[in-house]
Amino acid sequence: MPQFTESTIAFPYKRSLGPVIGAFMTALTEMRIIGIRSDERVIVPPLEWDPDTGVELAHDFVDVGPAGTVVGWCWVSAPTVQHPLDHPFAFGLIKLDGADTALVHAIDVAGIEAMTTGMRVVPRWKAARKGHITDIEAFVPGESPAVPAGDTGGATEPVTMMEYDASITYTTPVPTNVIRAEEATEEGRFLGLKCPECGRLYTGGRSFCPIDTLELSPSDEVDLPQVGTVTNYTIITPVQYAGQTETERFGRVHVLLDGVDVVLQYQALIDYPVDQIHIGIRVSAVWASAGEDDSDNAAGVANLIGWMPNGEPDNEDPELVDRIN
Amino acid sequence: MEPFDDIAIIGWSVSPMVRKTDKTEAQLLLEVISGAVDDAGITRHEVDFTCAGSCDYVAGQAFSFVQNIDAVGAWPPKSDSHVEMDGAWALYEAFLRLQLGDADIALAMGSGRSSTADPSIIYPMEMDPYYLAPLGADAASFAALQARALIDGGQVTERQMAEIAARTRRDAKNNPHAQVTGDFDVDQLLAEEYLRAPLRRHDLPPITDGAVAVVIATRAKALELCERPVWISGLSHCSELHYPGMRDLRTSASTTSAAKAAGIENGPVEVAELQSAFTHEEPLLVEALGLSPDVSVNPSGGPLAANPIMATGLVRVTEAARQIRDEGKHRTLAHSSSGPCLQQNLVCILEESA
Repeated sequence: MPQFTESTIAFPYKRSLGPVIGAFMTALTEMRIIGIRSDERVIVPPLEWDPDTGVELAHDFVDVGPAGTVVGWCWVSAPTVQHPLDHPFAFGLIKLDGADTALVHAIDVAGIEAMTTGMRVVPRWKAARKGHITDIEAFVPGESPAVPAGDTGGATEPVTMMEYDASITYTTPVPTNVIRAEEATEEGRFLGLKCPECGRLYTGGRSFCPIDTLELSPSDEVDLPQVGTVTNYTIITPVQYAGQTETERFGRVHVLLDGVDVVLQYQALIDYPVDQIHIGIRVSAVWASAGEDDSDNAAGVANLIGWMPNGEPDNEDPELVDRIN
Repeated sequence: MEPFDDIAIIGWSVSPMVRKTDKTEAQLLLEVISGAVDDAGITRHEVDFTCAGSCDYVAGQAFSFVQNIDAVGAWPPKSDSHVEMDGAWALYEAFLRLQLGDADIALAMGSGRSSTADPSIIYPMEMDPYYLAPLGADAASFAALQARALIDGGQVTERQMAEIAARTRRDAKNNPHAQVTGDFDVDQLLAEEYLRAPLRRHDLPPITDGAVAVVIATRAKALELCERPVWISGLSHCSELHYPGMRDLRTSASTTSAAKAAGIENGPVEVAELQSAFTHEEPLLVEALGLSPDVSVNPSGGPLAANPIMATGLVRVTEAARQIRDEGKHRTLAHSSSGPCLQQNLVCILEESA
């Protein structure tokens, strides 16, 4: 039975605007729309380079509009969450008075019947403007823009940055072998998959051997040992980015399992002083008991809390240090 | 450009085209790469260079293409590249790579699982981040603006667009890789509601998961390995300005110049497989390419029958190649496109003899 997992990724971008787009955004806060002169033409919205020749343009800005003519449009009957309006609207190509190119923006009218190519529109400004293309809430039919109630005025400093927040919710498949590997860890087992061709062992429920490009199936499954040796490590000083739950320095180790050619990467090392972590420590797997919070478990392994030194003497093999994988 | 060595397509494979697959992109690629090297009569080990086309925003994962390399079988290590574009541009890079003379066989692929999320939410992420993305400007809206420009300019009617949808869906009945097929009545199609006026549902491509892989080889290798290599006689792409309000949407100048650079004027083409993902794009591209009325356009059904984003263009190349290898045609054309309102266009001319 195919399984899917849902995840939402946020894209909180902050962008610098530069001298041309910055000037455009600053003008928006003042309820002005500017273009940039390129020979005989006025380009709106302004670009840093001539669209035809690529020549860098002098910062010769020209006020355009605010009224303009709709030279093209489409009707959005069911807006997305990213659209500027939450009810049906038109996207328009609007040639502002004095401009030689068309601005893409929303046009807010009662219905599609109110839209025609050639109609005249003006901006409906937001009362609070920050220097963003959506400072124009939408264009509306008419010749003179309405000044919004509660106008907060133009920016006191030139606008140099803009924010753009998007988020996308993805639905992606979980391969059967991954599901089986996770089910095994719930039983306190490490499931490996052994390639029938080359004999390499894989963890984490790989779908196929990347060397032989052969699909791996349940008949290729083997139980892996739960004792091993630290072959590499890193000490992490947590930076408090969103979602970081660690506050103190902590270690992550690579563990080479006994008797098999498998290194588990980036595993948690439990109950061991960070400053004493070294290559060669002998460790055993520690599993969460039923109902225990396992939110901090090691990467990719469902119920594994991490690895704890098991008291055995260090593995002194000098070649361990050369193992990275 | 004039290649200094002739390059031929010697094998390919196209995955099933479905609305939502339970396979990962790597799994999809594993199958089509196996299929393509089998078709070429080689093993993965004989491939010198690989290039993939895919999109992280579509996959929902940064560096998603790194996992896809697993499907290549890159051990011992292979020279590999990736383009955040349709697989047709991966073919372009592989084509250029073989010109360097130190590699004989290359693999180009494209993969996309369009079902991962709402395409109208993903698409704006790829637009101008200052002026367009914050408006949520999506592919269907851009296409609808271009359709309006063509309708206002008298170049197409909504009825003609519906006729294109009906024709491609009918043609697609013969294509085992098609997703949307069948016989549709134009009047009934026109009775449907607008999705992005002037576009109705039938003017838009389906949401499709799929992948494609193509094996190409230098002249000597192609002749050694393949009974009927399909020669790439020209391959070029051109781009124009990103912002749709600064272009004449009634033409596609970059398509015209790419076609010229690919040598379209050197002889007639019999079949054109176009990445016209929206119905109105077909007459626009036909005009930009200067195709005569007797050219068969998208006999596979084209992107309106299956649109595996990031693979759609390379699938066009396989369909155009199939027309030569399996259908007895002599000279065919494949087209791919990227960006809002056909911003960037690629043209590939295929011939039966070098």
